[in-house]
Amino acid sequence: MSKVLNEKPNAEQLPTVGTVGIIVDGHYAPPPEDKDGKTWVRTSALVHADTRALYEIWRDTENIPLWQEQIVRVTRTGETTSHWVMQSADKSKTIEWDSEILADEPGHRIAWRSIGGESNNAGEVVFEPSPGSRATMVTVLQEFRMGKFTSLWESIPGRNPKQAVIENLRHFKALAETGEIPRTEGQPHGPRGKIADTKRSLYGEKITTPPGLNRKAS
Amino acid sequence: MKALCWMGSSKVEVHTVSDPTILNPHDAIIKVTRTAICGSDLHLFDGFIPTMEEGDILGHEFMGIVEEVGKDVNNLQRGDRIVVPFTIACGNCEFCRKKIWSACDNTNPNAHLMEAAYGYSGSGLFGYSHMMGGYAGGQAQYVRVPFANVGPLKIESDLPDEKVLFLSDIFPTGFMAAENAQIQENDIVAVWGCGPVGQFSIASAFMLGAARVIAIDRFPERLELARSIGAVTVDYSEEDVSVLTALKDLTGGVGPDSCIDAVGLEAHSAQLQGMYDKVKTALMLETDRSSVLRQAIQGVRKGGTVSIPGVYGGLLDKMPFGAAFGKGITMKMGQTNMHNYMKPLFARIEKGQIDPSYIISHRITLDEAPDMYKVWRDKKQNVTKIVIDPWAA
Repeated sequence: MSKVLNEKPNAEQLPTVGTVGIIVDGHYAPPPEDKDGKTWVRTSALVHADTRALYEIWRDTENIPLWQEQIVRVTRTGETTSHWVMQSADKSKTIEWDSEILADEPGHRIAWRSIGGESNNAGEVVFEPSPGSRATMVTVLQEFRMGKFTSLWESIPGRNPKQAVIENLRHFKALAETGEIPRTEGQPHGPRGKIADTKRSLYGEKITTPPGLNRKAS
Repeated sequence: MKALCWMGSSKVEVHTVSDPTILNPHDAIIKVTRTAICGSDLHLFDGFIPTMEEGDILGHEFMGIVEEVGKDVNNLQRGDRIVVPFTIACGNCEFCRKKIWSACDNTNPNAHLMEAAYGYSGSGLFGYSHMMGGYAGGQAQYVRVPFANVGPLKIESDLPDEKVLFLSDIFPTGFMAAENAQIQENDIVAVWGCGPVGQFSIASAFMLGAARVIAIDRFPERLELARSIGAVTVDYSEEDVSVLTALKDLTGGVGPDSCIDAVGLEAHSAQLQGMYDKVKTALMLETDRSSVLRQAIQGVRKGGTVSIPGVYGGLLDKMPFGAAFGKGITMKMGQTNMHNYMKPLFARIEKGQIDPSYIISHRITLDEAPDMYKVWRDKKQNVTKIVIDPWAA
């Protein structure tokens, strides 16, 4: 380490390896490129809640429908395996798949992959104190293999899978910080116009907001 | 219930809609006793704000009586009288903890829309487009208030509604504008726009120690109100009046210490650049008309401060950034961090330091509101502020 700057009272140690490949040898690295039929999304959130408590919420597999969009049921099928059911808001389309946890580091990291069914995805989530330990940084890296399953997925939420991952992390953060997920579904309004349906799709308002109740972390 | 709905550009109508219900544990439902039309509602009326949808209920200045609370609201109960801030804040995120409540992370269900436009999303607002959350507003008989445990101010004194209603937006907004203007004792402050926010910016500038306030507008009724609280007025539409010359004349050639743009994106200008901006916005080459902001940057003294409570939404053209840099000015702006101001300003009202109801010119029913939007937009009937009783027949 160079000796030219000797006064930096709060500086972190220059990270050599950052969460899910964000920093490599002290240098920022972009998320993996979409290619070979794989599409990637990497997203992070600063959450004011205890790192361990956040890990616990995420790890509580059967309660994931409380905060993930369109996931209507997750059933544990073994110590590390579960069965997932995703349904469109109008209940007209359903897809199901099985998932397996590949790595589980309590309070820090969970990695998983699908093991058959109508979605082909893999991902990991890492919980770590933010620089200066102000809060917890939650970072998700998820990969979808494009194919008929993924396009089927896309037709269900009405968002592409990448945006769905971003929205789910947003719901997770809101729920952990406040005990609820902000919503407007079910509020009053006057007569809607002819293109209201198109506009609702555009605004992402056709997707049912997950219920989110009673899961505040802090 | 009856509610005022946005039905398209220059079209608002009263419709009978379903009553709001509790949707989340920190919600409250209030029976609205008074609500007001805000100058920024006119931006919606004029179609300047994107992501509005036919049937959206307008209104973000309101107060009322608590009807019902969600299971996690512990500080309010049925029958409480409250004023509700127009920005919705969760109280727990990074930004609420920093008291930048209008930047709350957790209250905009459509945050992705604002992220696409601004990089990051601010808090949700009542009745102000889907980009800002798509929440139903309070120009209605009832309204749902999310995070009622964080925002509303309980009014336990017998002050009439009209004296406390403006704590919902424009008084705090004017006060934060004066605070952002970094006023020192005996400063000279210039305020563009003598509508409601301008009025409270002028009043707050005096409260914070300004010695002279220069108020700029073109409507006689507004200029008269400004003079009534002690400001020197300048009518920019009068023949031979140049605002920049007036500012020099009224400051010994130095320029005002602080300039406040309480006009925002639909600025009107008597000069050629006003026409330039009208044409460019019509052709969608810029989204906001910015003649006031240009003038404020030109007019402020060296090392002075420009504070912007007026709403801007998009892209501005021909900003004199060289002047801003050359003079080393400071610019501060943004949606009001309501929750910092409601209590202290209520205390000022209670002590009799100010009676905010002085700006009210019209008291109407909900059914009269659609016509009054048009009247105010067209600057007729000497409107300075319109207050609605949603239950009056």
